[in-house]
Amino acid sequence: MKMKGYTGKILKVDLTSEKWHIKTFDEKHVRNVLGGQGFCVDIVYRGVPANTNPLGPENVLAIAGGAFDGFPVGTGGKVAFAAKGPATNTLVESIMGGSIGPELRHAGYDALEITGKADGPAYIFIEDDKIEINDASDLWGKDTRVVPETLKKRHGWDVKVACIGVAGEKLSNMACIDCDDRQSGRGGLGAVMGSKNLKAIVVRGTRDLVPHDPKKLLELALHYQKIYEAAPSFVEDTKYGTGEFLGWVNKDRGVFPTRNWQESVYNDRQQIDPYYWAPKYVTKNKACFACTKPCGKLFEVKSGKFAGVAIDGIEYETLYSLGGTCGNPDVESVARANELCDLLGLDTISCGVTIGFAMELYQRGIISKEEAGMDLSWTNASDAVPKMVEMIGNRRGLGDVLASGVKVAAKKIGKGAERYAIHTKGLEPPAYDVRGMKGHGLAYMTSTRGACHLRAGFYAPELVGKFWKWEGIDRFSAAGKGPMVATMENFMCVYDSVGLCKFSRGFYLIAKLPEVLEAISGLKFTEDELLEIGERIHNMKGAFNYREGVTRKDWLLPPRILEDPITDGVSKGSKISVDEMNLMLDDYMKARGWTPDGQPTKEKLKELGIE
Amino acid sequence: MPKMLVPYPENCTGCRFCEMACTIYHEGVVNHATARLQVHRRNVKLDFPSVCTHCVSCGEDCCVLHCPVEAIKHENGRVFVNQDECTACGTCVEVCPFGVMRMEEKAFNCDLCGGDPTCVKFCPMKAIVYEEPKPEQYEKVKKLLGEE
Repeated sequence: MKMKGYTGKILKVDLTSEKWHIKTFDEKHVRNVLGGQGFCVDIVYRGVPANTNPLGPENVLAIAGGAFDGFPVGTGGKVAFAAKGPATNTLVESIMGGSIGPELRHAGYDALEITGKADGPAYIFIEDDKIEINDASDLWGKDTRVVPETLKKRHGWDVKVACIGVAGEKLSNMACIDCDDRQSGRGGLGAVMGSKNLKAIVVRGTRDLVPHDPKKLLELALHYQKIYEAAPSFVEDTKYGTGEFLGWVNKDRGVFPTRNWQESVYNDRQQIDPYYWAPKYVTKNKACFACTKPCGKLFEVKSGKFAGVAIDGIEYETLYSLGGTCGNPDVESVARANELCDLLGLDTISCGVTIGFAMELYQRGIISKEEAGMDLSWTNASDAVPKMVEMIGNRRGLGDVLASGVKVAAKKIGKGAERYAIHTKGLEPPAYDVRGMKGHGLAYMTSTRGACHLRAGFYAPELVGKFWKWEGIDRFSAAGKGPMVATMENFMCVYDSVGLCKFSRGFYLIAKLPEVLEAISGLKFTEDELLEIGERIHNMKGAFNYREGVTRKDWLLPPRILEDPITDGVSKGSKISVDEMNLMLDDYMKARGWTPDGQPTKEKLKELGIE
Repeated sequence: MPKMLVPYPENCTGCRFCEMACTIYHEGVVNHATARLQVHRRNVKLDFPSVCTHCVSCGEDCCVLHCPVEAIKHENGRVFVNQDECTACGTCVEVCPFGVMRMEEKAFNCDLCGGDPTCVKFCPMKAIVYEEPKPEQYEKVKKLLGEE
C-alpha cells in the first residue's frame, strides 16, 4: 500500500550555488523519524559536518511540518526548525505554530533543507514546483511585521512567510524565526538564517493533502473537539492564555524565578498575572494553525506611555523573563518589551533572562551606570527593560555584549559575573526554579539544546505530582528522576514529530496517537514503536552533541542552583546539591544506555538503527 | 428566512480548522484553495472568515447576475452552479465579493453541507454561526476584504 498523508519529498536549496533539487523518501524514513522534529534532526545529524561553525555556510537549516501538519487534528499544526545552534554549539530544534509547515506540505514538501550562503540579502520563494531565490535588499533591516506585509503585498495575501528580524541579521545568539506572530525562539536559529543572508522564506502551496481515511479523520477531529471543549483547561487557556497558572506556580509551589533567580516568589506579581490583565487588555483570541483551543491572546495597550502596543501574548514564559526575573511589575512595559522582541526577532526567554542577569550585575556594582548606558536598578525595570531589549536587538552599547546571551556576556564582562549567569550548555533557562523541582533540574541539564522546559516537559509531573503512568512524584527528591526524564524526552520527541502541541499531551498521551496517524498515513504504529522513534531522535541529538565536544562537564547546573537555596516561599531552603545532581545524571545516563560522560554508546545506536 | 452562514470576524482566531474540515468533508482531501470558505490571517490584529452568503449580501457583484450562460441558479435560498451548463469561464470567481466561488474543472460553491455545515461544527469560537442572515456581519467582512 502506498503511504498516504506525506508528500514523500524533501526540497534541498543551496543558497551559494542558487540550485535546488528534490530528494524522495519512503515508508522506512517515516518509521525511523516520523516527521517534523524527527525529519529535521535527521537532516542536521547527517548533513552538518563535525566542528561546523554554526554561523558558517556549511551549517544546514532544516524545516519540517509534523506528520499531522495540514490535517484537521486539534492543535496538530506545529512546524519544526533545526540547525547547529550558535548559543550552545549543539543540535538545536525549535518548534512553532506558524502556518509555514502545512503550507510547505501543500507545496509538495514534507521538509525543506537549506545550505550555503547567499551573496547578498535574499529570500526563498516557493510556489509548488516554482522555486526562486530573490533579492531581499529592500527587506534587510526591516522588522518581522513589515517583512511579511511587504511580501504579502508582492505575492498575494495568502502566502505564508517565515522571517527574521534585525537580531537575526546581526547574528545574535538569541535571534528567533517568526511566522504568523509565532516564534521558533530558542537557541538562535534566527542567527543561522541571518548568517546565510536569508531574510525570509515565502511559501504558497496549492496541492491536495490526501489522508488515508478522511471519514475516520473527521470523526476523530470531532471527537477531540468535544474532549477539548469539555476540559477545564479549554476555558482557562482561552480566557487567560498560558500564564493562567502563574499565581499558582508563584505562591502554591514557590518556584517562579524572580530578580535573576535571587528569589522564587514574585511578590509584586499582581499586574503580570493574567487574572489581572486578561480582562483589561485582551481584545481577541488567537490560535496557531489548526488549534481549536486557542491560548494566544491579542494584547492591546490603548493609552498611556505604551499606547499602540499590540502583540500575540503575553505567554507565561515571557511574563517571567521580561517580568519576574527582571523584577518588572508593569504589565504594559512587559508587553512593550515583548513587542520589541517580536519585531527585532529576539527570543523573549533568553533576552529577558539576560537583562535580569545584567540587572543583578548592576545591583552588585559589576556594571556601572555608564557601562549600562542607563539606570539598570530593579526599581527602574519598567523603563529599563524595553530600552535594553532595543539595545540588544540593535547591538548598541551594552546590548552588543548581552546579545550573545549570559554565558558569553559573563566571560566578556568578567569581575565574577559568571557566578550570576544562569544557563545550561549556554542557553538561558525558562520560568521554573528547578531548585524546588529537582527532576526538572535534571531536564535542564539533559536537554539537547540547553536549559529547556519542553524537551521533557517535566515541570508538569513534578508540580502536579502525577502524570501519565506515574503518581506520587516528590518534586524535592532526586531519586528515580533519571529514567523518568529520559522517558519524557522520548515522549516529547514524538509530539514534536507528529506536530502536536505539547499542551495537548494530557489529552492524547501516546496511546491515542496511532489511531490518528493511521487515519492520516495508513501506517500502523504501536505505542512502543512511537516511543522508540522518540528515543531514536533523542539519541541522534545526543550523538551529534557529543561529537561536537559537548559532554557532561557542559551539562552541569550553574552555581546559583547548586549553592544558593531558595530564600522564600513554600520551597524555601531547597536547592540541588552536587551529589543530587550527579546521582540524577548517573541514573539518567544509565537509563539512556549512554556512558557517564554523555556519549550514546555504539550498542545503543546500533540497537536504534542509527548509523 | 432560511439559515445562513454568518461570519463573526471578532471571534476568529485564524486556526483555519474550518477550511480543512470543509474539503475533507467534500473531497476527502485537504486543500485550502478549494475550501468553500476562506480564513484570512492578515496581521497580528486581524483574522477573519469569509463565507458564501447565497445571494443574501452580494449586491451587484452577484455571481448569479454575472454568469454569462446563466449556469448559476438561486433557488430556495441557495445558490448553486449547474455543472452541465458551466463553461468554466471564471467570471463568477472574478466577481464574487467574498472570494469563495471556486474553480476546478467547473465552478462550485458552498452547499451548506445539506443543512448541517461542517465548518460551523468545527469552529469552537463561534466565528461562523449557522443562523438567520446578519447583513451587518457580511458588510464587516466585505469591508475587510476591500482593504486587501
